Amino acid sequence: MTQVTTQTVAKSGFPEVGPPGLRDTMRSEWTKLKTLRSTPVTIAIAAVLVIGLSALASFLIAANESSELKHGSLPTPLQTIQGGWSVGLLAFMVLGVLAISNEYSSSLIGVSLLATPRRSRLLLAKVIVFSVSMFVIAEVMSFINFFVGHAIISAYPAYPNVSLTSHLVLRVVIGMGIYVTLVGLLGLGTGALLRNTAGSIVACVAFLFILPGILSALPNSWSNPIGEYWPTEAGRRIITLDHGPNTLSAWWGTADLALFIVVLLLIADYALVKRDA
Amino acid sequence: MIQVRNLTKHFGPNIAVDNLSFEVEPGRVTGFLGPNGAGKTTTLRMILGLVGPEKGTATIDGISYQRLRAPMREVGAVLDAKAYQPGRKARDHLVALAQASRIPLRRVEEVLGFVGLSDVADRRAGNFSLGMAQRLGIAAALLGDPPVLIFDEPVNGLDPEGIVWIRTLMQGLAAQGRTVFVSSHLMSEMALTASHVIVIGRGHMIADSEVEDLIRKSSGIVVRLRTPKAEVVVPRLQAAGGKVETNGDGAIVVTGLEAAAIGDIAFQAGVPVHELSPVEASLEEVFMELTRDDVEFHGGGVGASQ
Repeated sequence: MTQVTTQTVAKSGFPEVGPPGLRDTMRSEWTKLKTLRSTPVTIAIAAVLVIGLSALASFLIAANESSELKHGSLPTPLQTIQGGWSVGLLAFMVLGVLAISNEYSSSLIGVSLLATPRRSRLLLAKVIVFSVSMFVIAEVMSFINFFVGHAIISAYPAYPNVSLTSHLVLRVVIGMGIYVTLVGLLGLGTGALLRNTAGSIVACVAFLFILPGILSALPNSWSNPIGEYWPTEAGRRIITLDHGPNTLSAWWGTADLALFIVVLLLIADYALVKRDA
Repeated sequence: MIQVRNLTKHFGPNIAVDNLSFEVEPGRVTGFLGPNGAGKTTTLRMILGLVGPEKGTATIDGISYQRLRAPMREVGAVLDAKAYQPGRKARDHLVALAQASRIPLRRVEEVLGFVGLSDVADRRAGNFSLGMAQRLGIAAALLGDPPVLIFDEPVNGLDPEGIVWIRTLMQGLAAQGRTVFVSSHLMSEMALTASHVIVIGRGHMIADSEVEDLIRKSSGIVVRLRTPKAEVVVPRLQAAGGKVETNGDGAIVVTGLEAAAIGDIAFQAGVPVHELSPVEASLEEVFMELTRDDVEFHGGGVGASQ
């Protein structure tokens, strides 16, 4: 039996260090992001596919152009060089979804919320770490992609080429990194709201690829304004050179997409705070 | 100390936790018992701020979990053994948690060693057995060296060696003055581990008591009597107010009479007595008795019901 002694009551752990804040949560989220095997693997596959497909497109189109008849409907050189990015878009969107839905499917979210019960701080840290790291990776990929495509097209003098110093080309190359980062955040916001990987990916694909196509079939009086402001369509203005009618400018289009993502993340944050984990 | 006041939660039309109030004190292991579906996990999740209560409060030393400034250094919890991403190494999982709580990273190596996972710290946690997963969960709970520890069904799926290890661990933590709150549906396990138990059924309080008191109060007086002349003594015992049941092995089980009274009756009847022993109910039997009306799913007969 226990002796009659003064009962020692244990004290809080590590009193010598201060309470954690946003920076600590960000450090933790960075560790989570880089130590998950699927993150570097997905990025590596995406980089190979994007750059590889762009290189293939550059080769096929430039070689074709130089050997056969000139054809009016061929893509512009810049479009050719960016040809692989539609796969990259999908990859960044999936990375965004997984950045949070993965925590739900593995029930890690419960442990994350035990460590950081201030749920808005957890989401904010995730958003900051994800956007900064994905932006850096996307920009590196975009520049490598451009230089590889440019080098291939240079081998075919009959096909017109572009350089970074050409009008607005630098904006398009940098803009690609911005656009895919925003699309990744769209995935993150959707994943936080739906808490389910498959459902979030389907929702994002529908929003990004399917709905704009359906909406464009509407009468012009409907489809023009929708196409102009539909966030992921407006966001594309920064990665396209042609500035047609009924389109926002590059930066207004980016602002439109960014604003939509801010609203989505605020709704996701509200849901995260209010719902039972 | 954990304080729960009038905690209430419904899931749809079903009440999960029904106006529950209790305190969990430091320095001892408190068992949290109830049949499956009694609301134990929901209560623990409300204490930990993962589930919001409809009514009532749950606090740790007077502060709700979500308002704790360094929560993992105040409370360590193991809710779900496999609550990690399978593609991440065990060490990285703990590093991320340590960083989120601003716990020095040397502590990661300490807890890995303490739970015996140092050798597999660089293996992906997805390859872990259930026992290793439980140890990783416990390592995470101990990371912040917290004064309060909460374990939800920690021995599920463990081998006997692991069960003994966890039992010793919990008792050791309590001896250090920590508050240790452990849920289980296994009464026999809690009988060995806990000194105090809180028993709930269908979300409401059934008992909040020392283990010894609970057994003493609930079991009443049960005495086993063995005699070759049962037919003589049984009517006399019944006349004296005892309830008599015959056991399959020839013993008679008497309820409601002290052993001394039974001995006297047998002596007056001139009946030889081969055995006369008071029986103490096990905590398991007490638990079955207490929760009989509160088990969510009863095993039925085999035949079709009308």
